[in-house]
Amino acid sequence: MKINDYSKSREEYLRACKVIPSGIYGHQGPAEGCYTPVEAWPLFSSRAQGSYFWDVDGNRMIDYMCGYGPNVLGYHDPDVDAAAAKQRQLEDCVTIPSTKMIDFAELLVETVASADWAFFAKNGNDVTTLAVMTARAHTHRKKIVFFKGYYHGVSPWTQKMDYSGVLEEDVMHNLYVEWNDFDALAELFDRYKGQIAAVIGQPYMHGNFKDNELPADGYWQKVRKLCTDEGAILIVDDVRAGWRLDLQGSDHYFGFEADLICFCKALANGYNVSALCGKEFLKGTVSGISYTGSYWLSAVPFAAGIACVEKMKKLDLPKILNEKGKKLGDGLIAAGQKYGFDLHVSGMPSLFYLRLADDPSLMLHQEWIAECVKRGVFFTTHHNHFINYALSDEDIAETVAVAEEAFSVIRQRHPKD
Amino acid sequence: MKDARTMAYINLFAVLGAIPYLCQLDPASAQLIAGNSVSIGFSVKGGPEATLFFGGGQCRMVPGTERCQVKLPFSSCEKFNGLIDGTVTPIPSKGFTKVGFLLGPFTKLTDRLGAFLKPAPGALSDPEFFRVSTTLMFHVIAEAIAQVANQDTIGQFSASNIVDGTAKLSIAGGPAAALCCRDHRLTAVHQAPEQFLSYMEFQGMHLARDLFDGQVNAIAAVGLGQVRIGGMISQIDNINRILDRVAVYLA
Repeated sequence: MKINDYSKSREEYLRACKVIPSGIYGHQGPAEGCYTPVEAWPLFSSRAQGSYFWDVDGNRMIDYMCGYGPNVLGYHDPDVDAAAAKQRQLEDCVTIPSTKMIDFAELLVETVASADWAFFAKNGNDVTTLAVMTARAHTHRKKIVFFKGYYHGVSPWTQKMDYSGVLEEDVMHNLYVEWNDFDALAELFDRYKGQIAAVIGQPYMHGNFKDNELPADGYWQKVRKLCTDEGAILIVDDVRAGWRLDLQGSDHYFGFEADLICFCKALANGYNVSALCGKEFLKGTVSGISYTGSYWLSAVPFAAGIACVEKMKKLDLPKILNEKGKKLGDGLIAAGQKYGFDLHVSGMPSLFYLRLADDPSLMLHQEWIAECVKRGVFFTTHHNHFINYALSDEDIAETVAVAEEAFSVIRQRHPKD
Repeated sequence: MKDARTMAYINLFAVLGAIPYLCQLDPASAQLIAGNSVSIGFSVKGGPEATLFFGGGQCRMVPGTERCQVKLPFSSCEKFNGLIDGTVTPIPSKGFTKVGFLLGPFTKLTDRLGAFLKPAPGALSDPEFFRVSTTLMFHVIAEAIAQVANQDTIGQFSASNIVDGTAKLSIAGGPAAALCCRDHRLTAVHQAPEQFLSYMEFQGMHLARDLFDGQVNAIAAVGLGQVRIGGMISQIDNINRILDRVAVYLA
């Protein structure tokens, strides 16, 4: 198999470092992206289509990160792009909003089980922040409970006291509890009686560097009841998992109802829009919060979002994505077994997490992932992956073949005793 | 932002704790302690205690002051930190017969340490001075990471997120250290570990120096392949957060 060359990516990275902090900042950069070793990964893309992107060196990558989630139907999905293009001919960012905003809100209220209204912004962080503000405004309480291993964005309240630029005061009302430990959560509510405004959690634990963990049987139901009994707001951060588990919301998938639910990523197949949806009793509270942005009411992403949600409903997309993910996961596990490796696939198949369990340090895992990437399969070493609708059986077969060769390479490098 | 007690732990175990490496790396320092057999204990009320043992042409630091010949008591962490800043003159509580070493070779030794840790302009252009200075800085920083992780409130928070196991810190072609984490407390071992859960390696002494001096950003250096990280990267991530705190204390 061809081994990718990334000469142009390196050149562009040097150019970027001169004018952009750390060249590529954030999760799409080589440091936060945990590119180990960095030479195995492309750094800049030039175009994308379906389940692929091409880097600036011309290498085609089967993309299992999907832009870290937004690409749910395939890059350049014709229906979504056509709806966006049609709207762009009319208007986008204007002084007063388009009625597309109402259409989109109506569609979300009709689709999402716990939605009586929708509020739009741009990034997931915008709506998780609004959710926390709403909970505090409604309850007149300060404390927020997080599940350890969480990610809810990058605003100071979502970060930790040891993060650069974050003050202890920014996170002084954050409380932390282990995922799936209901007794610990109940104890926290006892200890901070009448002080907890909200519990915020992803529908299951997507934590990095370890297997993803689904909720224990009845866990969310107990959390729901506890929040109700204690007068706290239950916020589901469905930014990452949303639309890949259940089109009615991941809370619906796990059999409970959130008070507030946050969407972004797959909501509009890459067009930049996020949404906070919630229950009727919080609508007035949200109305009273001063919260807006220059591009938040732009019409093109609304049109794209409508087309995306309608197509996902028509396809019953989560079922398809989970089938594709299962097929891929089974293929990867079998490829590993052929060379004596114990590959664990965790989380939901539509956003699977990979870990080679043969080495607790993850160094072997990192070697294997790097060999896959060098051969044109874009995996990450630390984060869950994403399935998109455009991923074909041929793509899955090619991925498994690449994975098998990568396993053979590291088996040669690390012979069995 | 700085806590005097944490500063005292850094000053004792990381800064004065670098004297053994100074004696190994710098012939002039080795000459200063040659033929001396003496131990100096530092006892800080409400803070750290440790003893520097000199003998056989070598030096080592051991926690506690039970076996010291010369004892330097300090009534507070602030007073001890004043010793390192040069604003406090210590008065021994025992070991007056050995005070000659304290006032002579030991003072010269600490002056030499200061010269390497805070180089005069142009001093680093001498390759050997550069090598000794950068190696000492590495050991000071490695030890300071452990002290900040164990003593500083924010450092303790970072350590609370570090899983058990050893992280290897190293400079290619230079020194290495192991940061051993157990139950969210860190211990620095100033040699390369045989086995480790994660690693962070700097490409070379010059890159390490630039990182220590804040001339290069570590995140960009990772992207350029000048800093290699791997294994359980969450360990390295949290150690890097502690490193940010170390920079506050050592600034």
